[in-house]
Amino acid sequence: MAATTTPMLEVDDLRVRFATPAGTITAVDGVSLTLGERESIAIVGESGSGKSVFARTLINLLAGNGTRTGTIKIGGRDIDELSTAERKHFFGVQAAMVFQDPMTSLNPVKRIGAQLTEAMRYHLKMGKEEANDRAVGLLRQVHIPSPEKRMRQYPHELSGGMRQRVVIAMALACEPRLLIADEPTTALDVTVQKAILDLLDDLRAERNMSLILITHDLGVAEGRADRIGVMYAGRLMELATAKDLFADMRHPYTQALLRSIPSTDMASHTRLHPIPGRPPDLLNPPQGCAFAARCRHAQPECVDIKPNLLESSGDHWYACHFPVGTSEGRAALERNETAGVTAAGLPLDEAAEEFV
Amino acid sequence: MAGSGTAHLRDDPNVLVRVEHMVVEFPISGGRVHAVSDVSFDLVEGETLGIVGESGCGKSTTARAVIQMPRPTSGNVFFRGTDLTTLPSEALRQVRPDLQMIFQDPISSLNPRRTVRDIIAEGLRVWGSRGTWTPERIDELMAAVGIDPRYGERKPHQFSGGQCQRISIARALVLDPKVIICDEPVSALDVSVQAQILNLLEDMKERYGVSLMFISHDLSVVKNISDRVMVMYMGKVCEVAGSDDLFARPAHPYTRALMAAIPGRHSDDDDDGVLEGELPSAIDPPTGCRFHTRCPHSQQICKTTEPEIRGIGDGHFVACHFPQVAGVE
Repeated sequence: MAATTTPMLEVDDLRVRFATPAGTITAVDGVSLTLGERESIAIVGESGSGKSVFARTLINLLAGNGTRTGTIKIGGRDIDELSTAERKHFFGVQAAMVFQDPMTSLNPVKRIGAQLTEAMRYHLKMGKEEANDRAVGLLRQVHIPSPEKRMRQYPHELSGGMRQRVVIAMALACEPRLLIADEPTTALDVTVQKAILDLLDDLRAERNMSLILITHDLGVAEGRADRIGVMYAGRLMELATAKDLFADMRHPYTQALLRSIPSTDMASHTRLHPIPGRPPDLLNPPQGCAFAARCRHAQPECVDIKPNLLESSGDHWYACHFPVGTSEGRAALERNETAGVTAAGLPLDEAAEEFV
Repeated sequence: MAGSGTAHLRDDPNVLVRVEHMVVEFPISGGRVHAVSDVSFDLVEGETLGIVGESGCGKSTTARAVIQMPRPTSGNVFFRGTDLTTLPSEALRQVRPDLQMIFQDPISSLNPRRTVRDIIAEGLRVWGSRGTWTPERIDELMAAVGIDPRYGERKPHQFSGGQCQRISIARALVLDPKVIICDEPVSALDVSVQAQILNLLEDMKERYGVSLMFISHDLSVVKNISDRVMVMYMGKVCEVAGSDDLFARPAHPYTRALMAAIPGRHSDDDDDGVLEGELPSAIDPPTGCRFHTRCPHSQQICKTTEPEIRGIGDGHFVACHFPQVAGVE
């Protein structure tokens, strides 16, 4: 992953495990990633893919039963090497986060103004008036009408789209260089979603910010990110520029995900192709490729050996033994189709696609 | 937008549901919430009607008022010619098995303390068998919706969201209904699971001859499953058309704004894309066309006069003074 200057974010072999009564869950399983200045990357995945845990781990938010290995460098600083004093004013300042649900990420009994100025007064040691002025400016910047009035209101007096803008304004309060947005528009209507994503685009350009956009919606990722990483069972399956990913996808999971989504370009009543089977049990992860059990290309090798994320050409990375669009991949699919079943035991007839 | 009028209602002998001038208002202190204001539509046997719009547009209220939960403030809802709005409660109860519902949250819409087989068969315990299904054939119904009948004694928490939605579908089918109202049935599901449920609904519709009212805020999903689509804004109908036709030539400025906002479609002409301003209050909705406060094509007449729904050909109807169609403007 090429970067000429110091990258904004370097993640190397990040693993996050949670101890649960039932056993250890590996939520993030060896993710490495580099993000340049002003660059935006979207991490796409279904529920349970580890994308939110990945995002939270980056700003050092990890539940008490979680352990992390691997290094995270933000702006060239290894977050494990920060002193306690530095750490206090690092997260939320250098790297800030926008959470998914704008209702629960705001305190319902505190006024917008108080919540917005809290971080500035604590981290930047601003006086009350200065922080207030700046907060009004921030609200204006996120296109909230009559910001002075909003400062005195409570979260319930604002619409969902408005609240999400407040949450974005809060994240921007200390001028972070890296903004992590975890499903920032999932709870919102499409027209509001568009406005919020446009806003994030503009802010990124204005402030030279890097952006990590966590989403389950490939459509959102397609329009908004320079690069897209597809996550499954805690691992990056494919990582490429947005254009490459859609034009020249390599991982069967990426392909399966796209085939399952209805699009307005399809005629009405077009039969969809669900992904057969279910995601793996993270308590007992499969030995080989996590997607093998649901993959149409699966060969004995896939069941036994976990593929590594490797670069094929020009910043296009994927973790697959038999990728889509290669002769190996085609041969694997043909073998499976002839046999009527994959090496992982997935039947390949039409009826099988419907089975849960 | 606005739209009152009944130009889009059809004189088809196979009309199952016909809603005329339906109004649903909720009294609150200091006024009333105008949730649904003079909405008319119909549903023909074997058809899927998609209802699409943003939160607060009244799409769920519209669907619920069809099954008289709540009863509409005014207007008529005909089911096979019988007006449900004036039906005494016992007579209405007799009609209800024909009108079933599937909800958004698959897990909370199932009783967590009962087994899946009990949940699916409950309708039969109340009504007895109405045709296809009997308590002995529940296994068959479970298999039809893709739930392994061996799991019949399990409880909802032992299933995934997608499986719970399959159970909800089985529960809705058990009384051989004519109409199933699906209120955002796939919004809480992952995309790969969403495809399974959409395919299943299509199959069930085909196999058991039910008609669907499908409510969603997701335009791609609505296009995929619907024969006809109704776009709503602030309790009014904006546009009604065949599914493919609506997406090929959206005529209402609001429909166009919705379509332009679909993520992943970055077109260069962005003029329809951004809706200015916030959604007005449903307690005190705008005069004239309710969309005029945010409409890029708004004129004086839009502020004063509510547009009537009118046909623009091929079963495509729009409630707008200035529909965006070549030749009509």
